[in-house]
Amino acid sequence: MKKILLIFGVISLLVCIRPALGLGTNSTSTIASNTIEQNEETSTEAFIDEAFDGIKQFYHYTGFANATAGHLFMILIGIIFIYLGIKFDYEPLLLIPIGAGVMIGNIPFVSGYQTGIYETGSVLNYLYFGVAKGIYPPLIFLGIGAMTDFSSLIANPKLMLLGAAAQIGVFATFIGALYLGFSLPEAGAIGIIGGADGPTAIFLSSKLANGINLLPDGTTVKNLIGPIAIAAYSYMALVPVIQPPIMKLLTTKKERLIRMKPPRAVSQKEKMIFPIAGLLLTTFISPSALPLLGMLFFGNLLKESGRTERLADTARTKMIDIVTILLGVTVGASTQADIFITKDSMLIFGLGAVSFIIATAGGLLFAKFMNLFLKEDEKLNPLIGAAGVSAVPDSARVVHAVGQKADPHNYLLMHAMAPNVAGVIGSAVAAGIILSFLGN
Amino acid sequence: MIPTTLYIDQMSEGYVILITGLIIVFLSLFLLTMFFKYGLPILLYTYKILTKGRDKKIKDIAIEADEKFTGEIAAAIATAIHLYLREQHDTENTVLTIKQARKLYSPWSSKIYGIHNILK
Repeated sequence: MKKILLIFGVISLLVCIRPALGLGTNSTSTIASNTIEQNEETSTEAFIDEAFDGIKQFYHYTGFANATAGHLFMILIGIIFIYLGIKFDYEPLLLIPIGAGVMIGNIPFVSGYQTGIYETGSVLNYLYFGVAKGIYPPLIFLGIGAMTDFSSLIANPKLMLLGAAAQIGVFATFIGALYLGFSLPEAGAIGIIGGADGPTAIFLSSKLANGINLLPDGTTVKNLIGPIAIAAYSYMALVPVIQPPIMKLLTTKKERLIRMKPPRAVSQKEKMIFPIAGLLLTTFISPSALPLLGMLFFGNLLKESGRTERLADTARTKMIDIVTILLGVTVGASTQADIFITKDSMLIFGLGAVSFIIATAGGLLFAKFMNLFLKEDEKLNPLIGAAGVSAVPDSARVVHAVGQKADPHNYLLMHAMAPNVAGVIGSAVAAGIILSFLGN
Repeated sequence: MIPTTLYIDQMSEGYVILITGLIIVFLSLFLLTMFFKYGLPILLYTYKILTKGRDKKIKDIAIEADEKFTGEIAAAIATAIHLYLREQHDTENTVLTIKQARKLYSPWSSKIYGIHNILK
């Protein structure tokens, strides 16, 4: 050990003093020592200057030199997302990847070196391709299909209408966005935030507001994928905050106490027929939603067929995890400050909040409306209408929690799951309709 | 003038989409509802008839009971499963062994330094 140290020490010493020795020999061998001394001085000065230039140049490439207030603001937002995910457990599986993505996307850099998510050829850009072309959402839907148990919906099919009622939020926001001056395709993509379904929102915005399509007046449509996805996912995560006040406002204490009959048992045959019948009926009506609904029902068939447990297991665990990671990070990274912080983004955030409120209210009021026609023992607890906005399974959980606050022995979770999954189907159908109207 | 007309057109198209969209969403989910409320039971009923043949009436299709399987057998199986899962019966190890105690060497207990050796 000592020997090694000694050898290294000698070598390093030699390396250090070699220039000095070399210079020494130079000065002794030449006659005009003055000039050489001057040369030496200038060369050392030049060396220092060069070193400083290098450091300066390096500094210009660092984040410190390129940081703007926007970058720092967005990084702060990313940290808040991560904080919300960890501290309050608001959809941590989404908020933590998105929060990390927001930080990654907002590290300031010098453009032109294939670093950023919007620069062609960069790794992040390749990963973002799945978002920009709407590849990830159908894969997520496959996993959701393989996860979801539709039995409560099969047991009580009329709850499906609650899923349709909550789509009022989509169309109301669509009109709102038109009033605020967005073009038709942009408004359609913004409206789908009211569907409270992240993958659907990404799918539709990648088709309508992707910054590539041409509008009838010749201008290109704005790229709103980032703001729409972030708005959809952040409001989905905030469902436990947004929904309860509206639910309390629109229902009376007596209505919240309504107990519903437990759903009947559903046979395996019915569960198997559901995805096939659902696929045929919904996609024949709205073929544009085929990538989403096709994958959703296909995933459910894998689960319920009883013969493809392996495939269903992969779809609902590993595969959806992988796609969620990629989707979360790239959607987060797409919020690059110079592109993301615009007036449009702020408007979209405002419209998103309004659309969530309208969707929740639509579901609640429609449940009350249905109660007018139902017999006394079949009355619905109007709270489950709020689960008609998709946000599976968070809004169902919120309904259950609010119901239990009114009556600790009232179990609404199973009932709320029915409009919840119907909301997924409903928002995908709505996306298909908007796409068929406005898609080029 | 042109922008305003464009704007109005856009709004009117927006309302068209609003109305038709809502109707189609409701219609498709209403269709699903109807199918699962009325269509599916009929399907399952016809399936039952088809698989059991036409000559039999539906009410004749009953699950045949196994006469040898009495309540006592069920109770015995249930008890066995219950006991197995809960492990309520004491089971003791019937093999008895005397463990060898290991003593550490110490000169105080050594045979070499014992008193007997001194006398030799």
